[in-house]
Amino acid sequence: METQLLIFAFFALCGAGILLSLTTPGSRRGNVMVLLGCLAATALILAGANALLAGDTFSQPLWSLPGLATLTLKVDPLSAVFLFVSGLVLFPASIFAGGELNRESWRSNGCAFTVLMFGLYASIVLVFIAGDAVLFLLAWEVMSILCWLLILWGGDLENDRVGAGYLLLAMGEAGTLAAALGFLVLGVNAGSLDFTAMKSNVAGLGAGVRWTVFLLSFFGFGVKAGLVPVNFWLPRAYTVAPCAFVPVLAGATLNLGLYGILRVNADLLPATQAGPGLVALVVGTISALLGILYATTNNDLKTMLAHSSIENVGIIVAGFGAGMVFVATNHPALAAIAFVAALYHLINHSLYKTLLFLGVGAVENQTGTRDMDKLGGLIKWMPLTALCFLVGTLSIAALPPFNGFVSEWLTLQTMLRSVELSSTGTKIIFALCGSGLALTAALAVTCFTKVFAMSFLGMRRLDKEQKVTEAKSDTLAPMAILAALCLAFGVLPTYVIPVLGSALNPLAGGSAADALVPPFFAANPAHNTLPPAFADDFHNLGAQVGQDVLPGRGLVVMHRGGTENPVVFAMSTSYMLVALIVLLLLTWIIIRLWLTRSLKLTRCERWDGGVRKLLPEMTYTATGFSNPVRVIFDAVFRPTTVEDTRETVAEHFRAAIRREKERVHPVDKLVFHPIKSAALWFAGLLAKMHHGRFNAYAAYALLTLLIVLVVFLLFQSP
Amino acid sequence: MNLTELKEQIKHRWPDARCEVDAASSTCEVNCSRAALPELCGRLFLGWNFSFASLIVEEGASEWQLRYCFYGDREAGWVHVLATAPLAEKTFPSIVKFVHAADWHEREAEDLFGLLFEGHPRLGDFILHDDAWQENVEPMRRHFDAQAAMLHRKPDADWRPRRIVQEAGAFVMPVGPKFSGVTESVHFLLETVGEDVIRSTPRLFYKWRAIEKLAEGKTADEVLLVAERFAATTAFAHGLAYCQAVERICGAKIPARAKILRVFLAELERLRQHAGAIQEICESTALVVANSQAGILEEDLLRISGELTGHRYLFGLLALGGLLCDLPNDACRRALEKSQHTLKQLNELEKRLRVSSSFLDRLEEVGIVAHQNAMAYGLLGPIARASGLVRDLRKAQPYLGYENIEFDVPSEQEGDGYARLRILFAEAKQSVRIMEQAVAVLQKGGVRQPLLLRAGAALGWVEAPRGGTFHWVRLNESGRIARYRVVTPSFANWHGFHLSVEKFAFQDFPIMLSTFDLSVAENDR
Amino acid sequence: MSQWVITGLRTGIKTTVYPRGAERAPGVTPGLPCGGAFDAAPGKVLVDCCPTHVFSQINGTVSADTRRCIHCYRCVRGIEHPAGWEQTYEWATVRSPSESPNEFIPAFKRSIHICVVDAGDCGACLNEVKQLNNPYYNMHRLGFFITPSPRHADVLLVVGPVTDHMRVALKKTYDAMPTPKRVVAVGACALTGGVFSESFVCAKGVADVLPVDVEVPGNPPPPLAILHGLLLAVGRKPPASLVSTSSEMETNAANL
Repeated sequence: METQLLIFAFFALCGAGILLSLTTPGSRRGNVMVLLGCLAATALILAGANALLAGDTFSQPLWSLPGLATLTLKVDPLSAVFLFVSGLVLFPASIFAGGELNRESWRSNGCAFTVLMFGLYASIVLVFIAGDAVLFLLAWEVMSILCWLLILWGGDLENDRVGAGYLLLAMGEAGTLAAALGFLVLGVNAGSLDFTAMKSNVAGLGAGVRWTVFLLSFFGFGVKAGLVPVNFWLPRAYTVAPCAFVPVLAGATLNLGLYGILRVNADLLPATQAGPGLVALVVGTISALLGILYATTNNDLKTMLAHSSIENVGIIVAGFGAGMVFVATNHPALAAIAFVAALYHLINHSLYKTLLFLGVGAVENQTGTRDMDKLGGLIKWMPLTALCFLVGTLSIAALPPFNGFVSEWLTLQTMLRSVELSSTGTKIIFALCGSGLALTAALAVTCFTKVFAMSFLGMRRLDKEQKVTEAKSDTLAPMAILAALCLAFGVLPTYVIPVLGSALNPLAGGSAADALVPPFFAANPAHNTLPPAFADDFHNLGAQVGQDVLPGRGLVVMHRGGTENPVVFAMSTSYMLVALIVLLLLTWIIIRLWLTRSLKLTRCERWDGGVRKLLPEMTYTATGFSNPVRVIFDAVFRPTTVEDTRETVAEHFRAAIRREKERVHPVDKLVFHPIKSAALWFAGLLAKMHHGRFNAYAAYALLTLLIVLVVFLLFQSP
Repeated sequence: MNLTELKEQIKHRWPDARCEVDAASSTCEVNCSRAALPELCGRLFLGWNFSFASLIVEEGASEWQLRYCFYGDREAGWVHVLATAPLAEKTFPSIVKFVHAADWHEREAEDLFGLLFEGHPRLGDFILHDDAWQENVEPMRRHFDAQAAMLHRKPDADWRPRRIVQEAGAFVMPVGPKFSGVTESVHFLLETVGEDVIRSTPRLFYKWRAIEKLAEGKTADEVLLVAERFAATTAFAHGLAYCQAVERICGAKIPARAKILRVFLAELERLRQHAGAIQEICESTALVVANSQAGILEEDLLRISGELTGHRYLFGLLALGGLLCDLPNDACRRALEKSQHTLKQLNELEKRLRVSSSFLDRLEEVGIVAHQNAMAYGLLGPIARASGLVRDLRKAQPYLGYENIEFDVPSEQEGDGYARLRILFAEAKQSVRIMEQAVAVLQKGGVRQPLLLRAGAALGWVEAPRGGTFHWVRLNESGRIARYRVVTPSFANWHGFHLSVEKFAFQDFPIMLSTFDLSVAENDR
Repeated sequence: MSQWVITGLRTGIKTTVYPRGAERAPGVTPGLPCGGAFDAAPGKVLVDCCPTHVFSQINGTVSADTRRCIHCYRCVRGIEHPAGWEQTYEWATVRSPSESPNEFIPAFKRSIHICVVDAGDCGACLNEVKQLNNPYYNMHRLGFFITPSPRHADVLLVVGPVTDHMRVALKKTYDAMPTPKRVVAVGACALTGGVFSESFVCAKGVADVLPVDVEVPGNPPPPLAILHGLLLAVGRKPPASLVSTSSEMETNAANL
């Protein structure tokens, strides 16, 4: 089917969803969400796949707005990737949202929620397929407002939620403003707000203008993406967003910001200097570090995942920045690899973050709490949820054979390839950022070990009265789908990379697949950059082993050096999976079925030092697990003591020790609080005008009228 | 001030109290009302600088008799404050607000006798663990039926550890009772938020053998065996304290030779125990060569003890009225020479440890016990001296002729682990100095004067290697034990142990434990 | 830090020749009483003087159940006809198979891991166990290692008369050990309850709670006796009989 048709079908289904949700009774609304949402997502997936694989892109002008621009729809390979990913995320998210709607508490708000959701789906896709700045910004605004409304809907309006919603909206508008200004500059230069026109007229732009556009679009779209220093709305919004909405928020809308950055800085305005790329690299690394530090030391599951999103976005942006530097310094192949790594990480992040948020939703529904200090031992009552959550945890911790490993590996390898740059300063920055990213990866393992262990393993810390059962199939099914996708994207990288390459190669100028996918693994043999002797070695190594038995083999190769002495960084996740399964089976067979076949396996109590009864309060809490990180990175956290009292009775008996420390996020302290105080101060100034006296207001109106008349007279052309 | 002045002061403030001064034993017995107890004891402890030794609870035929024993320096002597109440009334005012050192004594009395101390905020779950025993088990009462108590066990299934730290994410880390390699059984509940110990609560009495109950009704000689063997690393000191108590009751005169030999053996035990404590400290800091060197020295001293007396821990030497057997002079001299040689090696070990910076890093400024805390908690022995609290029973209330022996009592001010280590080395030197003087004045003569047991009660005290130990013995007419009350130095020092580990990291915990040289067997009895 | 290396080297080898040979240094063992031929009256005095009833008299021979000896020396000091005394240390005995069902496999002959539990001991037995790690005895050379966790242990070494509060902990430790495992009870308290056997919170030895395989009498048994017990437990020394006979009667004259 043609892409155009599929896109139209998608919008039609969204429209049908809105209509049906207004007309169906409350009990069926969930099913509407599930059915139509899944159909819409399928349409999206097919559209994206069609555009990518079959190359079926289109550009369709719609209406022409006089004085502004012609609204155009354009699907090119880059947007196709994003469409595909969004479809992949919206499918399970719809099932989960539908399931949530069927629960008691949602009956009253369900109608508004479903309408808003379908509206959001439509606006997200519209952003991706917008071919000119006006449609883009229109869709973007609609999307922002719908996000804000969705955060407010679904439950009671606590202060937190309202505050977080306003912050989301305010920051969103500020970011939109900046991005719009960026588009305007490009548009003024090109004389039209159409993307194709902008792209073809960039040649003459000076360095200053390029920097302006970069900074405006980077930090403008960076608000939505979640980059330091404009991301302080993100943790707050993610924490208060209703369970049914958060997966879409994290898995789909986050990508919009990244799409914006990519679209402007890779497509419309390719980099000619290393500067902007380095800024992106550094900002990305700092975001990643701060994000993971705060994720590791946070105990609320949703807030922790929000900070982890910031971390992942940081990695993506860092990879993207590296790509920009390579484009600017004329290393097209490396640029392609970097872009592929960034986009791969984006896909992976969408998948596993959605999976994790679904898991958190399941936990919160079953136990009523998100505090890791109060959870524990859930694997006994929720084994399937735990299994899917484990897959998500392993993926985000970048462990093979799951997808996080591939993108993390590619990103770090790209950093290492910075040795091929000529400027020493750039190389130093790359080295520092590379080590920062490596530290991030290590902290991510700590963080997610803590998450899984404290929530699902160990002793149960919940009240005895709380009944915990396995999550329903409307939660398990989407989690299973996403888990399978995580495994698939991890084990079949050599199928994914050429597809991503086809979208990104035009932006980078080189071919990623040539360096990453060996010619005998479904890549174009004509583009082989590996020396033939080397390729033969691979053959002899047995890279072709099981080619008939194993339908999907994957080997990612990064090659460096000349034909005489090639240096290769290679890894194959599909072989890893095979080896893992074989080794596990072999271990089981040898040890259990042969060596210890005569020994009896007994299950007994855990060893607890001989105490009479091990109580839940005697087990490590999440705070305790992550305390070493708090202590080591004290300089970042800068805790201030709020309370440190020691209560004594009868002179010497310590009755209570109360300690409380406050840790203000550096971004909050350096950016948010100053802006807030400045805004309040300014509002205070303005308030002097609002004294309520009618005469003064009339005077204001008169004054404004006079100024307008004067201006009109002055600028009236004779 | 001396006892007469003290009597005046007491009569002035508490006219109802009856004071009797016994100049021979330099003891002042003060009979006061229950209401006056806290103030009077507080005055003695805080105002007149007396140390708190023991709270002895005795169930008489018709009344309770509580005896609070205080001691001061040489001219001050002993003050026993007595309070009585009819058996039906079991409430006494608590003195812990003023005498914090009496905290555990009152808790023990509540657990074992069922007495209620008003004003004590922490009674219960002390010796009789709440998750092992039902309420109202009073094992030390005369009418206690052990079989019935064991049959109707109803432990508290909902027992929870007391939580003092109120911080988000705080938890209670359990250590023990079986932990580490070769350690005594004790259960720690460490309240923490992950990196450092905010509050440490030891749960002791896993090794409670109820020797005070066991001793009742036995002959004096049988109980001597128990006194030696309940805390056998300092067996001689405890046996000696018990013998002194019984000998004091019977007004016995010990032969001079027996006295000197007792001094010699007590100091030999102190030297050996200190070498063992030094070995523990080196082992806890994982300074392997020093650990081996100290281990060699401890084994050497054990062999010296074994060669001299036949038993490595000096069992079977003490007898009521002297010693069970004589030790030949040349054997004593040989033992002294070997001890001097061992001391020389100990001094060399000290010299080397003083320049091992990685070792000192673990001990210096770690585990500090402040002077005022040491005083308030009534800490005893080398640890108290490391915090500047110098009151050695050999100088303050001399026995066995220590007043005629020249020796110093070392003290330090810092109160950290390193100060405690330095005290151990210094006291070892002093012990050998005393042994040299003892051997020099060995006289001829017998070593035992048979005792004529008679009814009565007395306190025996000895400066054991870990600090002062106080044994109270009451004999009935047939010469059998009616009441045996033991207060050991570890009982006081375990009380104050938590002061040294709070605010320090987990890794410092075992090291501080070793510098305190605590014995769980001594504490638990 | 080189001072420690030099110190260690200069100290030389202190390790005992046991078990290859007999250790004859003075003070390594307190010895144990042994029975012998006694007339009726002195025999009765001997039997009565012992507070833990070590001796029993049958037809002119007094036999000594050394498991009960608490080293009070009342049978050799201050008594007219003292008992015989053995200055040995190889006292450990293996209980008969019907009483202890644990079977050891030959692999443990060369090396074992020992878990030590203090079930109310006075401190002396534990201190002697601690001496096993000092250079004089160095049990590592014999393949004996102490492990804090019972999950890794093969032999459970128990000291103390098993107080009431330690019952659960002791049982839990035993249950946490994987089979095959052996239990070695060390010291008079662990065998018979010692002087605490009449206390209402003490059991009469470890055998009341766990199946014991090897018993090491003494109060406390010296490190060499504990080593002998461990060697018996792994089968590197042949087991001897329970009641001692007057084989080596080296009385220590200085102590009488």
